[in-house]
Amino acid sequence: MRTSTTTTSSGITLSTKSCRIKFARRFLRSLVEIKKQKRSSASSSEEEICKRSKRIKMAAYSSMARAVGPRMNWSRALLFKLRNRVGYPRLVKKKKRVTVRSNKVSRSKSSVHIDRGNKLRKLVPGGKSMDFICLLEETAHYITCLNTQVKVMQAIADNLSK
Amino acid sequence: MNSLLNPQTPFDSSAHDDFLEQMLSTLGPSSCSSWADETPTAPPSAGNSDNNVVFSYDDSSNLASKFRSHQISAGAAASKSSPTASAAAAAAMMLQHQLMMSRGGSSSSGNGAPMGLSLGSNGDFNDVGDGSSFKSPNPGGGDGGSSVQALFNGFTGSLSPNQPQHFHHPQGGALQAQNYGAQAAAMTQPPANGSAGASAAQPRPRVRARRGQATDPHSIAERLRRERIAERMKALQELVPNANKTDKASMLDEIIDYVKFLQLQVKVLSMSRLGGAGAVAPLVTESSEGGGDCIQTSANGGTRGGRSGNQTASSNDSMTVTEHQVAKLMEEDMGSAMQYLQGKGLCLMPISLATAISTATCHPRNPLMNGNSNNNHPVITSNGGEGPSSPSMSALTDY
Repeated sequence: MRTSTTTTSSGITLSTKSCRIKFARRFLRSLVEIKKQKRSSASSSEEEICKRSKRIKMAAYSSMARAVGPRMNWSRALLFKLRNRVGYPRLVKKKKRVTVRSNKVSRSKSSVHIDRGNKLRKLVPGGKSMDFICLLEETAHYITCLNTQVKVMQAIADNLSK
Repeated sequence: MNSLLNPQTPFDSSAHDDFLEQMLSTLGPSSCSSWADETPTAPPSAGNSDNNVVFSYDDSSNLASKFRSHQISAGAAASKSSPTASAAAAAAMMLQHQLMMSRGGSSSSGNGAPMGLSLGSNGDFNDVGDGSSFKSPNPGGGDGGSSVQALFNGFTGSLSPNQPQHFHHPQGGALQAQNYGAQAAAMTQPPANGSAGASAAQPRPRVRARRGQATDPHSIAERLRRERIAERMKALQELVPNANKTDKASMLDEIIDYVKFLQLQVKVLSMSRLGGAGAVAPLVTESSEGGGDCIQTSANGGTRGGRSGNQTASSNDSMTVTEHQVAKLMEEDMGSAMQYLQGKGLCLMPISLATAISTATCHPRNPLMNGNSNNNHPVITSNGGEGPSSPSMSALTDY
């Protein structure tokens, strides 16, 4: 069912308009829900704001994943992760951000591909269980979906700030 | 066509007779095994020690004989200096003829000539050049081709171990002159004879390997994999901006940075929706000092000036700690101070520039900068991979 991963130069069926519209619709719906939550608890503490922003971000990613559907590996992995995260405390998600300058530092003994492939795997959801070629495919689709996500969110923000 | 071997130079009878017999004896049983029913008339004559081999042929082999004569002349012309090579050529001729005879005999008369034709060129014998027609027998012969190849394998196999000192060179020379199709590449490399022969004899879809490259499946799979990776990298190159790097490693770096940048943009955009009007753009830096304290800068016209002012006041405590740290480092060594700042994603800039920027965006970018009043250091850009940030919000990256 991988009709969307034909990788000719012009042939990658990327996020078409329908995908964008689907994402926008879902995202707006989740935004409305989150706004309802805000009104109930009129808190403006830092932590609350952080939580809300994270909720919005998760809403964005989940609506994107649902709009894409189970076609792609990364969307499935993302949906799975989001579904299982509901019960977990937030601390699980926090990662220590080490300033990694591994791009310039001397490379490890593993080959160049493997080194960067691992980095890419961490970025793309579900990337740990894919071989390099599939990883590249998924990255291409993921990048286009992220692009549409950013564009839609930007448009919403612009509309709201007017 | 008794004059088959006449144009050739006279042989030294003894050595080459033995050799010829040897070759033909090895060829004889294998050729008989590969043929179905007809016992060709040639094998009885193979036992002749006389170098003039007599062939009897039917109508269908007229063309074949013409073909052969061309072959012989070509062979003779190419290898005049080496009688042994022409003996090899003669044996090859006879072998071909035997095959063609059998094919012509076993199949119907209508197919006899086409069989000979298929073994030769694609129907044009009169214009046979220097053995170019020998190219097609091997790939074009189908089952006949494979048996021919098997026979040639036996042929070369018998040649090389028996008389290496004689045939090492002339073998390559003669066979090259006659252009034995796909076998030519193998035959010119005597050490590769066995393996190439083995691979040629197997009836699997052969990828014609270039000279010097192996035909084993591992390298083919490797090549295929590399091609697929290159394809996908090309597709990714079109998506990612700044994709003019030819190096695969730097291309992967670009891709990684771009994905990080897009994810960061999503995060920033999600934070800008708090309060509904897109006024506040907080940024969460999970520094080691305070797990999860938010350093908040405001942007966008400062509609929430009061609120953001409160927040910056609360977050100033963490900033003062940083300030003290930087001041301490600056006393010792400027470079380390810069590095410390860079690690936090901050930069140092002269006050004039800071005020200019703040008036442009209606708020100071970084409260830390106000503390360095006597500093005239040039700006160090700490945000290497930030990319274009939206004008409505200013953000400090946490690289």
